[in-house]
Amino acid sequence: MSDVVILGAGMHPFGRLDKSYEELGAEAAAAALRDAGVAWSQIQAAYLSRMYLPATSGARILRRLGSTDISIVDIEAACASGGAALRQAVLAVRSGEIDLALVLGCEKMPRGFMDPSMIYSPWQIELGMSLNPAYWSMRARRHMHDYGTTELQIAKVAYKNHKNSVHNPFSMYRKEFALEEILHSPLVCDPVRRLEICAPDDGAAAVVIASAGRARRHAANARAVNIAACCHTIARYSADFRCPADSMSATANNPGPTEVTAKQAYERAGMGPEDIHCFEVQDTDAFCEIEIYESLGLCALGEGGRLIDEGRTEIGGAKPVNMSGGLISKGEPVGASHLGQVVEIVSQLRGAAGPRQVANAKVGLAHVLGAGGNCAVTILQR
Amino acid sequence: MASDGAVRERAPIRDGLLSGSLSQLDGVRLTGCKCTSCGETSLGKKSVCPNCGRDTVHEAPLSDRGVLWSFTVVRHRPPGAYMGPEPFRPFGLGLVELPDGLRVLSPIQCEVDKLKIGLELRFKPYLRHDAERDVVAFAFEPVDKGGSHV
Repeated sequence: MSDVVILGAGMHPFGRLDKSYEELGAEAAAAALRDAGVAWSQIQAAYLSRMYLPATSGARILRRLGSTDISIVDIEAACASGGAALRQAVLAVRSGEIDLALVLGCEKMPRGFMDPSMIYSPWQIELGMSLNPAYWSMRARRHMHDYGTTELQIAKVAYKNHKNSVHNPFSMYRKEFALEEILHSPLVCDPVRRLEICAPDDGAAAVVIASAGRARRHAANARAVNIAACCHTIARYSADFRCPADSMSATANNPGPTEVTAKQAYERAGMGPEDIHCFEVQDTDAFCEIEIYESLGLCALGEGGRLIDEGRTEIGGAKPVNMSGGLISKGEPVGASHLGQVVEIVSQLRGAAGPRQVANAKVGLAHVLGAGGNCAVTILQR
Repeated sequence: MASDGAVRERAPIRDGLLSGSLSQLDGVRLTGCKCTSCGETSLGKKSVCPNCGRDTVHEAPLSDRGVLWSFTVVRHRPPGAYMGPEPFRPFGLGLVELPDGLRVLSPIQCEVDKLKIGLELRFKPYLRHDAERDVVAFAFEPVDKGGSHV
């Protein structure tokens, strides 16, 4: 069993919001503290996950909760920033140095495609290689070629996630789209369409974590969720073709970042994909979710399309994925996305997810994957 | 070419990416880094192999022929200082598999409805006339252009 638990969780709805990042972050942090029944003054270390915010954003946000002299650090690992931050907090608590920590994910991003100078070299930008969806699309095209995955299957993922989001008050869009509407939305980068990709936006999510011993001193322990695993890795040589890659090996055969990170997490938790009841995964684009079914071991390589056809990843299916509506519906405030997934899983495991509830969910997994092959997998258990 | 007849300076789009004399475009190739320890070839000049971390690498010009491994059509102007044709028009972007054992990301110069996996391509260095100098940039184009050319 795990030695570190989530004592409280909270978030601010994702969206394009008329609030500063300090306000968003402070609201999410306060919600998590409230849920945990813990005062800010009791927190012994705090970690901010963010990618697009200025230096010392963690301290700037959290000073709104009151003066403190604890360690507050900002952590960045592209789309996996939240997993990297949570992992650092878990390691600190597991070390025994501290027993109560706050992990906050917060982001405020401009509309439209992300600022390419963050990750691309000038020559890549000049040649037109700076559109992130282009990389996702080339993966999709090759998967379609190798395994017969169809545009209809990809659209079905987007349909499912948009539909799920209608019941999520933390989601940006909360709008169901007809399959036809998705299939006729404009192409962004063939074969990926506008209603099949996530948009950058604003948002914040937070958890209070504690050692199991410390948690027993708090009333919220009755609703605590164990952190069975929290792993973060980056892709080995040529194991992943994702922005800002300029080439890949045609001969190396390293396992992909999701396979590697999930394997670590499954081993740490002493579980396999068959033991997990619900999943929140990186649906940067709808195809990506199909690929992740395969790399998380929900099905064999090449069979991801069949999983969506059979409805197995719907809320009522055997392996529900992205009950929250996923990033396609919530948007991707990069630093906040993984913590947002964790908040959803906590809600599911507590049986508090309302119309999105997966029946008898006791174990859940959250997965993020992004630039540089950064990947994080967190497994929670109640 | 510059029309005033003056000799303009030529520079590669990035140092360490191209081999051959820039004054003879026909001889320009992409350059690679080949490791004699692990056998991997990667794009661009490097002092250490990005796969095994050893310094047993040497620069090797890459083949100018390849096959389209996957592709997309970029339908929106990419963000940042994109320097493609104006006004912007959708273009192919693909991973070109070279016989050297790697796949290189490159714009593909052809009508976008001609793009398909397996398309045979050749390297096409070209001059981009910037304000202060000519920049040698690159794309790939179909070996058989079939009478159409963008």
